[in-house]
Amino acid sequence: MSSIPHDHAAGHGVDHEHAHHPGGITRWITTTNHKDIGTLYLWFSFIMFLVGGVMALAIRAELFQPGLQLVEPEFFNQLNTVHGLVMIFGAIMPAAVGFANWQVPLMIGAPDMAFARMNNWSFWLLPFAAVLLLSSFIVPGGAASAGWTLYPPLSVQTGMGMDLTIFAVHIMGASSIMGSINIITTILNMRAPGMTMMKMPLFVWTWLITAYLLIAVMPVLAGAVTMLLTDRHFGTSFFNAAGGGDPVLFQHIFWFFGHPEVYIMILPSFGIVSTIIPAFARKPLFGYASMVYATGSIAILSFLVWAHHMFTVGMPAAGQVFFMYVTMLIAVPTAVKVFNWVATMWKGSMTFETPMLFAIGFIFMFTVGGFTGLVLSLVPVDIVLHDTYYVVAHFHYVLVAGSLFAFFGGIYYWLPKWSGRMYDEALGKWHFWMTFVFFNITFFPMHFLGLAGMPRRVPDYATQFTDWNEVASIGAFGFGLSQLIFLYAVLKAIRSGPPAPARPWEGSDTLEWTLPSPLPYHTFETPPRVS
Amino acid sequence: MMEHATRRERPVPAQRGANTRTALILLSIAVVFFGGVIAARYSGGSTAGVGVLGFAIIGFLLVAILRNVRR
Repeated sequence: MSSIPHDHAAGHGVDHEHAHHPGGITRWITTTNHKDIGTLYLWFSFIMFLVGGVMALAIRAELFQPGLQLVEPEFFNQLNTVHGLVMIFGAIMPAAVGFANWQVPLMIGAPDMAFARMNNWSFWLLPFAAVLLLSSFIVPGGAASAGWTLYPPLSVQTGMGMDLTIFAVHIMGASSIMGSINIITTILNMRAPGMTMMKMPLFVWTWLITAYLLIAVMPVLAGAVTMLLTDRHFGTSFFNAAGGGDPVLFQHIFWFFGHPEVYIMILPSFGIVSTIIPAFARKPLFGYASMVYATGSIAILSFLVWAHHMFTVGMPAAGQVFFMYVTMLIAVPTAVKVFNWVATMWKGSMTFETPMLFAIGFIFMFTVGGFTGLVLSLVPVDIVLHDTYYVVAHFHYVLVAGSLFAFFGGIYYWLPKWSGRMYDEALGKWHFWMTFVFFNITFFPMHFLGLAGMPRRVPDYATQFTDWNEVASIGAFGFGLSQLIFLYAVLKAIRSGPPAPARPWEGSDTLEWTLPSPLPYHTFETPPRVS
Repeated sequence: MMEHATRRERPVPAQRGANTRTALILLSIAVVFFGGVIAARYSGGSTAGVGVLGFAIIGFLLVAILRNVRR
């Protein structure tokens, strides 16, 4: 059980000394404070989310009607590729790290991350990598256009935009590795006295396991793109069949990284939902230990399923069957988590503020995405649906309605603590419902398109796919505009929201709620003892 | 009930030493995996080499997670 007995008097672990830290831009460039760095990560991720979102709207605008109306096919491919890279490496992952930076030290009673200066470097590598990636649009040949998966031989043949992408991926990988070393060290070595591993909040558990996944797989990605780089410029033939290599080897190596990567993107969201649901159900999380074991099982199994992304490469049937069965197996611990969230709500005293709406929306729609993943796990079905819009629908349900919804819920949940101000609940609810409705209008029809045979990554399509593409494009613009409500809600709260109490959510019980709102610059310099 | 521990219960040099040791272990694992992905291409055929590395990575994760769950 993870509930931590504590008294509710504000002021424990608060640094009452005057904080000596620079102001202005120098503060943000040189900060080693986990709260500042968390803020930097979250704002960076939101900016990248908007950048990637604009690319998505350009894609959907082109796909509104059959034919080529707005962009050249080569540029469309660049938009597709960079949209994926920006959303994965620029939006989702940095947002998750932002939540980790803010919350992990607070939830374990630590004064800061283990390596505060390296924390600063981990962040500031990202804007540099983002500039490299986005500047690839303006170099000769344009940006990388081989899809975010960068498959050779196409990725070996394209222009210098691919080199910029490879360098950006290297830099983002280094940032992730440094960040995960920091998080693991902080969690293992800096917990408050009395906080055993099985008393940690589940968000800390999910980030510990995510950090282990990052350590394991980011070097694999770095190795794969390094081999791409040497194939491109240094005469190697890792992935060139004419030189004795094998392009399918890249797919194996890439997806050995790529499948754990999708769990890296979702596990922190599981942790956020596991924090929000008990708070608003006013009940402890059901089955804490099983949630920990399920998360660990998901992480371990994620290494055994990579080839379900490659069922059509010509694998032996025995291999296909193995990966099919293990992929179906990974649904079991995931289902355990969904059942536990529902069981937490069972007979709870529930209220439906905005964080809870996003958490419940997550449960519904992540489950839909999970079901379509089970459909795709079946080899004979995947042979037909591979590289169709059914796959696009699946991963947008789990990543957007999954990760992104959880992150929105987390922002609304913790913003009162971080900023000391309450957000406007009406705006929050508008944001949720508009996002929920337009998300489904955008992505649900893609299931039909995929089942009807529309391929992915195409700027033009056969006319029988027109109707659902029009619906999806309208939904996409609605979804995009809805995010402006979120931006307005956050800015309004920060600037002029009513003061937030130390514990605005009655059912919250982790350590950060024992501190005042807004949080002092330095917290838990004297470690709390948890009994 | 939450009591404040004294600073002496968490000596700074010992904390820094423990943090550094943990970080070096994790960094060395990352470096080995990175080099291993490339070196595996040249070891015992691509399948065997990458297979060995894959099992090493899975083994690392098993040990890392199960050690913490037992505590």
